[in-house]
Amino acid sequence: MNQDFQISFEAIDGSHVGDGGIEHGALLSRLCEAMFYEDPDQLASVRDDVIEVAGAEVLVDAVAVSANFYMMTRIADATGTPLDAGTVEPSVEIRELVGVNNFTSRREAQA
Amino acid sequence: MAVYATELPIRPDLDASHSEIASRWATTGSWWSGAERIAIVGEVRQARDGDDLAPWESPSQVDGLITDNHLLPTAAIDAIWRITNHPGTLTADWHASIISRGINPEAYVELVGVVAQANAVDRFADALNLARVDLPEPSSAEPQRLADKSVAVSSHWVPTAQVKGPNVIKALSAVPFEVDSMSLLSSAQYLQLGDLLADLVSDQNSLTRMQVEVIAARTSKLNECFY
Repeated sequence: MNQDFQISFEAIDGSHVGDGGIEHGALLSRLCEAMFYEDPDQLASVRDDVIEVAGAEVLVDAVAVSANFYMMTRIADATGTPLDAGTVEPSVEIRELVGVNNFTSRREAQA
Repeated sequence: MAVYATELPIRPDLDASHSEIASRWATTGSWWSGAERIAIVGEVRQARDGDDLAPWESPSQVDGLITDNHLLPTAAIDAIWRITNHPGTLTADWHASIISRGINPEAYVELVGVVAQANAVDRFADALNLARVDLPEPSSAEPQRLADKSVAVSSHWVPTAQVKGPNVIKALSAVPFEVDSMSLLSSAQYLQLGDLLADLVSDQNSLTRMQVEVIAARTSKLNECFY
């Protein structure tokens, strides 16, 4: 499989950092932030921007993906879900880059 | 009939999945009745829309936040608020404290499933400025509340079954109905959980897989979820 692209973790860090090589990465990250902070003006503004730049289908699908992770994060954190075997070592560098090692859920989950 | 009245192009399968999830909330569960499951969803909405409590504050400690004749035990209500508003602060000790207040460990798993689904479905509607899904009339049948002797606490805080797959799917395995609900929502909102690692490049509806994963990772980080 040839994956002819270069990505980074910028858009995961925040919308202010950049696209990270992902089309509309910063804008999608801003949408996630608006959903999290639930500021109505911020949400309205970013909805308009996503529709204008990427289209209404992208807005709906992006909101759906983000909303799904309000489910997955709560399942993982409320059940003490540990990292999967085989992902602990390979994810060391990524976890450091993305900055998740100080989360309470890092300390609390087993393994 | 569509769940959402809007001009936004909500895919029919996505709309149908939210309708199906709402029906499942009203169904008699393994541990909670349909009325209790609907009350759980209602309490998620109270937690999101009500007073902003700090993680160390519980609604049961605040006068007037819980009605005297509430259908749910106060430990369940406290858990719902904490899981909804402060998931990144949950600890093994906190979980143990909820169980010690009389919540059956498998009933807790079912509660987590419903709370998590309600957070996803309502967050979707709120973000698009849509009316939230109507809550159906609950089933009147009583739950069996039968402990499954094949589940045990091993890798998670909660009892799990011996199943293969990612640990986050195993998390709810003590209550298979909630695994099915999670899969139903994930398939419509994210991707088929079986395709999680099998296909890393195909587009997902209007998004590229890379866009999907950026959104997933950014949302998880905002929620301070290590997993």
